[in-house]
Amino acid sequence: MEPRYIRYCRRCVMPETKPDLKIDGDGICNACRSFESRKVVDWEKRKAEFKGILDRYRSNDNSNYDCMIPVSGGKDSTYQVVKLLELGYNPLCVTATTCQLSEIGRRNIENLKRLGVDYVEVTINPTVRAKVNRIGLREVGDISWPEHLTIFTIPPRIAVQFKIPLMIWGENSQNEYGGPAADAENSVLTRRWLEEFGGLLGLRVTDLLGQEGLSAKELIQFTYPTDDDLKRVGVTGIFMGYYFPWDGYQNALVAQAYGFETFPKAVEGSLVSYENIDNIQTGIHDYFKYLKFGFCRVTDLACLHLRRGRLTREQAIAIVKKRDGKFPWSYLGHPIQDVLKQIDIDLEEFIRICDRFTNKKIFKCDSRGNLLKDQNGNLSKINDDNID
Amino acid sequence: MPVVGIIEYGAGNLDSVARAVEYCGGKPIVTESPKDLKKVNHIILPGVGSFAVGMKNLRTRGYEEELHAQVKVKKLPFLGICLGMQFLAALGTESAKTPGLNWINGRVTRLIPSSPDEKVPHIGWNNVEPAKKSALLDGIEAGKDFYFVHSYHFVVNDQSDILSTTPYCGGFTSAVARENIFGVQFHPEKSQKAGFQILKSFLAL
Amino acid sequence: MLKLRIMPTMLYKDLTLVKGVGFDSWRRVGSLMQQIKVYNLREVDELIVVDISATKEGRTPDFRLVDDFADECFMPLTVGGGINKIDDIRLLLQVGADKVVINTAAVETPKLISESAQLFGSQCIVASIDFKKHNAERYEVYTHSGTKPTGRDPVELAREVEACGAGEILLTSIDRDGTFSGYDIEMTRRVVDNVKIPVIASGGAGNYQHMVDVIKNSGASAVAAASLFHFTESTPKEAKKALKKHGIAVR
Repeated sequence: MEPRYIRYCRRCVMPETKPDLKIDGDGICNACRSFESRKVVDWEKRKAEFKGILDRYRSNDNSNYDCMIPVSGGKDSTYQVVKLLELGYNPLCVTATTCQLSEIGRRNIENLKRLGVDYVEVTINPTVRAKVNRIGLREVGDISWPEHLTIFTIPPRIAVQFKIPLMIWGENSQNEYGGPAADAENSVLTRRWLEEFGGLLGLRVTDLLGQEGLSAKELIQFTYPTDDDLKRVGVTGIFMGYYFPWDGYQNALVAQAYGFETFPKAVEGSLVSYENIDNIQTGIHDYFKYLKFGFCRVTDLACLHLRRGRLTREQAIAIVKKRDGKFPWSYLGHPIQDVLKQIDIDLEEFIRICDRFTNKKIFKCDSRGNLLKDQNGNLSKINDDNID
Repeated sequence: MPVVGIIEYGAGNLDSVARAVEYCGGKPIVTESPKDLKKVNHIILPGVGSFAVGMKNLRTRGYEEELHAQVKVKKLPFLGICLGMQFLAALGTESAKTPGLNWINGRVTRLIPSSPDEKVPHIGWNNVEPAKKSALLDGIEAGKDFYFVHSYHFVVNDQSDILSTTPYCGGFTSAVARENIFGVQFHPEKSQKAGFQILKSFLAL
Repeated sequence: MLKLRIMPTMLYKDLTLVKGVGFDSWRRVGSLMQQIKVYNLREVDELIVVDISATKEGRTPDFRLVDDFADECFMPLTVGGGINKIDDIRLLLQVGADKVVINTAAVETPKLISESAQLFGSQCIVASIDFKKHNAERYEVYTHSGTKPTGRDPVELAREVEACGAGEILLTSIDRDGTFSGYDIEMTRRVVDNVKIPVIASGGAGNYQHMVDVIKNSGASAVAAASLFHFTESTPKEAKKALKKHGIAVR
């Protein structure tokens, strides 16, 4: 069988194996094209639009909050809270507690509260959570599956229960889109909208019923509100990333000025010290993206900074080769055992699960078709840059 | 742990059967020669394909004698799956008349549709109705669906050998049982929970 | 009684799982293994997995890949893509496929169907017919993943493959594929009426009603769907519930 090589964008370093990525006839990917064709934005106008929407939804007599911000305590949500308070609004902050909160993550949550907001933390039963992490890892190769789901279910549930219609998200992947609340008809979020946008396809919460004894009563927070409830309260949302200049690094600078704490050095499997520092399971989550698609966080960040002129392509290739997709022996200084123990899987089984989800077509294998690993268990891609 | 000999005679996919046996708590051994049957305590004869070609392969590899010794004399529990069940018959009538193992009297003939809606091959999930009590069907409710994929069926002479029937093409025998010898026309290794239940019951014999 | 089957279909091209519209504009959808595991968890009736670039690139099937994902499937698995000789079929069955699906070879070397049916049994051989509708009178079969017109009529080809010994027909409307606009009920019915082997309707499912419609109006024995399950919140289980409500026997 002819070997087929991985193609990379000629401008950034994204491989073609990324879902929904298209490399055009000139070898440039659609994300780079999108970036290059970003229009010059009138930020004053966008800010005015933003305020217009918020003013439409705010509580007129201060008996309720003006809006709700789903937060994590990270750089982006800290920035969002700073901004909303600056503009004079009264948001309710809602956190769906992450899988295994790190010490620095806890400190950043407390810092966020001290900025001056009412705060609701919704924590899933830790035993159930650990079970769902395990099922997610084994069945779909995604340990953070419960995280992805509850980020989308818990805020709207709170929105319904507290009768706060407007949710303020941060960035959105469809850059040119303000969000459903910006539509003239004020479209309400239905489950369908969120499933398409949230990319929650694949495992569904109904698939969990019966797995390892899980029943509906343990999965209440995993359930999205009904379309009727959403309509009744008029739950909708907008993306701040559309109305304000949005850049992860920039957000981190602002957040740090307001007390946000970063990790003392670049996080394992990453390029930077200021993001994804709240959940010690993230290392494993990122690693599986690498196994399935041949790239993960370092590639994502390198492309981001490269497009903004902070890295050359040569530097990016070298950095990706050095740091991307290494076996997650530790994350935020926590050894992998801290996670494996929590979810009750031993290292041997973990490695078996890793191999199962690895797309063997994109990694080097021996003549018998077994993956080639170095002494630290790291894989090598069949090619790290274009062959020509 | 029950050691299960799965007979390899060039008749298709054994992997699924082996994995299913493992999943159900057995130790599968795919045989490389008839001698391997001496080391096991259960025997599974899987099979897809042609009766004539299958029986020929079974015979030329020398399995007929060893099977007789282990199953008919030593009375090890035996499970024939799909073609493996059909081999139990006296005669197969597929391309030419071919003698089977003749452990259960009867012949294998083609399914005949009883209405224009019925297609042959019979492919898909269909219900299995028990005709008599048996340890193999422990825990299986009547009418449970199993996966079938075949064009021929086993017509048994002695009604008491019929373990279950399935309503298709006028009704056919979907499982047989006589003492330690069992045959199922459906594929337990492909029938998910219900199939695993059957395998577990077989391993418990 | 024999239940109607719902068969999620997965296509892989080059290095990943893909889905297209009209056999074009292929979108990378994600991890093949992950999707297989999800369907396995859901205990679907059967799974179809096809390598759509094999024949075009003149490659044989990737047996190692099939071996890997067959290990994760405890349900009937039909595999296709690039099959053009007996050994391909033998090896696929050996590594874990229950049935194989033959498309281009069904038109170019029909002898393959008759030989393999004799060796392995008709029930393992699924003939895949992809067609485009030019107008109400003219339908045409295409091979090579929908890129090469053959001048053949789908009904005529269906009868030929049945005579050669195919056990099942997978009938796919290229025009409707990925469009969510419903199956081609007319052609499905014509094929069903002209053969005695089971026919699987494929191409165009957009909602459960489409499945009900094609079953009730064409007599198809099974329905296949891909985009419906990849891109919407529909699941095979919910599809069965909907079918049951309309009196269709499902598992």
